[in-house]
Amino acid sequence: MEMNSKEILSVDSLRIGYGSGKNENALLPPLNASANFGELIAVIGRNGIGKSTLLRTLTGLQQPLGGNISYYWKNIKDYTRIALAQKVGYISTEIVKVSNMRVYDLVALGRFPHTNWIGKVGMRDHEIILDALKKTSMSFFAQKFISELSDGERQKAMIARILAQDTGIMIMDEPTAFLDIASKYEILHLMHQLSGSGTKTIIFSTHDLQMAISQADKIWLILENELIEGAPEDLMLAGEFDHLFDSSTVMFNSEDGTFSFRSETKGAVYLEGEGNKRFWTEKAINRAGFKVSKEKTLPFIILPTTNHSPWKLVNGTEILEFRSLYELMGCLSRTTTRSI
Amino acid sequence: MKTAVRKDLTNEINSGRKARLIFICLFLLLILFLILDIFLGSVNIKPSEVIGAFFNNSHTGFQTIILKFRLPKAITALTVGIALSLSGLQMQTVFRNPMAGPYVLGISSGASLGVAFVILGFSSTITPESLTGFGNWILVAASWVGAGAVMLLIMVISSKVKDIMTVLILGIMLSSGISAVVTIMQYFSNETLLKAYVIWTMGSLGNLTVNQLNVLLISVSAGIILSLFSSKMLNALLLGENYAGSIGLNVRFARAVIFICTSILAGSVTAFCGPIGFIGIAVPHIVRILFKTSDHKILIPGTILMGGAVMLASDILSQLPGSETVLPINAVTSLIGIPVVIWVILRNRQYSDSF
Repeated sequence: MEMNSKEILSVDSLRIGYGSGKNENALLPPLNASANFGELIAVIGRNGIGKSTLLRTLTGLQQPLGGNISYYWKNIKDYTRIALAQKVGYISTEIVKVSNMRVYDLVALGRFPHTNWIGKVGMRDHEIILDALKKTSMSFFAQKFISELSDGERQKAMIARILAQDTGIMIMDEPTAFLDIASKYEILHLMHQLSGSGTKTIIFSTHDLQMAISQADKIWLILENELIEGAPEDLMLAGEFDHLFDSSTVMFNSEDGTFSFRSETKGAVYLEGEGNKRFWTEKAINRAGFKVSKEKTLPFIILPTTNHSPWKLVNGTEILEFRSLYELMGCLSRTTTRSI
Repeated sequence: MKTAVRKDLTNEINSGRKARLIFICLFLLLILFLILDIFLGSVNIKPSEVIGAFFNNSHTGFQTIILKFRLPKAITALTVGIALSLSGLQMQTVFRNPMAGPYVLGISSGASLGVAFVILGFSSTITPESLTGFGNWILVAASWVGAGAVMLLIMVISSKVKDIMTVLILGIMLSSGISAVVTIMQYFSNETLLKAYVIWTMGSLGNLTVNQLNVLLISVSAGIILSLFSSKMLNALLLGENYAGSIGLNVRFARAVIFICTSILAGSVTAFCGPIGFIGIAVPHIVRILFKTSDHKILIPGTILMGGAVMLASDILSQLPGSETVLPINAVTSLIGIPVVIWVILRNRQYSDSF
């Protein structure tokens, strides 16, 4: 095998699962994957397919059934616990609830593999902790109890802890689950920054395919029979994401990377006009179950030309005016069920 | 940003100073209670004579009372308080259960089963008072094994059952089961031994021979040293097994160390003083409230000081200063400990989520 000098993690015919010997219960066929320095890698797959088990195995919390994991060209089995903890950090979906624990103390626990037998936080450790708090913009919260934090703040504190651990690789199991949209993008932005600076390689699992496609450098797509890796765009062009939705009613449009429900179209409508208004009107029409027609139809819609002009629905000689898309859609459904 | 960081730094320095202040106060309180425990008792002895007993070889009756009874009893109280509180703190962290303690989860019962085997089972001639030298070590070892067996059982249960209440109820069941076994053993033993055993179960700080006190001191010292070594592991375990493993802790090793440490601490005390309730569960909570921290580097020394102080105070109260009556120590510790436990339950109704 050729030596890739940028490769930080290599996974070779790794078999994950539980039990051993005859009771062995492998979740997936042998997996192959790799990660380079500074990459942001999204692990995608159906619920229960084994994403968490894979991440736990990569962290060394669970023994693989077979195959190899190498960090920095060294087999995971040749690392001591402490040495591995200095290379790989981990955030699970488990929420840490400890009363009387301050954010600073939580982050300080990240120094565990670096401190002496009693866990004394020295001046250098202290500086690293403050730096981790600063990078996650949690400096203000240092003396707050973790029980007082919001979900997003708690997740940032957990990331600060992993930063204090000072590992080259960060493994995160659904870091944006349970978060509201604002916190979700804040966390994502943070992950992007950390990997973008080239110092951290981040491997995270997510259910948000759109987010993964737009942000990740690489995707590990876990399907029933294999793990496919590649840039999101490559996987998109190869049509790999379609396999995720084989049996469901959701459809993935590989043209623009969006989702839609498989539903029968109620008909086609012609739109006259251009620009921003056209984009959102198309969206609304699609949602209502219509296609946009390239040829003139009856009825057809004339888009507003200025911010104050109305939408016009032209049905032969009858022209109806609407102040909002909401009103237009209501009327469109009613007219077309009659006329089309 | 800079001012924020600086503000945090000063906050931190302040909280460090505050912790130091609390430590000093606790230490002074401990010394005060230690002195009071020696000065007060059912026999009224003038303070000047108490001091005299230490420095003059007068061989009066007072000197005998002070040096042979009150001083060993005070030292026993101090040691017992430290040992029970430390084992409670460790159990609460390892089981991630605020209601864990040597008494509640049946560890003390396990230890008493070990003791019952020695006193009621194997020998027909020994009583706790008649044991000397090597016999004391047998008694204490039996107690460790009993405590360890129950501890192991609770550990297996809590690895299968995550719900704190269920673990607690199973702990109570376990205690009851062990009591039943001990009752059967009592039924088949003779009257003298039975009396000795029943008196032992009432819990007492004052019946230790010099030899027994030595065994207790050695065992508990070993436990304290081991617990100081475990503070880093305990801090990691606060995060739960997965996170603890991911930051480099050998979870199995850590559990084994803490397991041995707790069994030694709780077992040794139970062997010589009987099951003493509610100190182990209550003191760690008082310390957490006082220091407002989850850091075991502070909680462990805090618990040592507070545990000693509370047990000395209980001993002072049990002697009912000024009267000749002496209350069973178990009654006093329960009255001190139970309100704290109730308060913890009421304060945090979702305490199953956190502690």
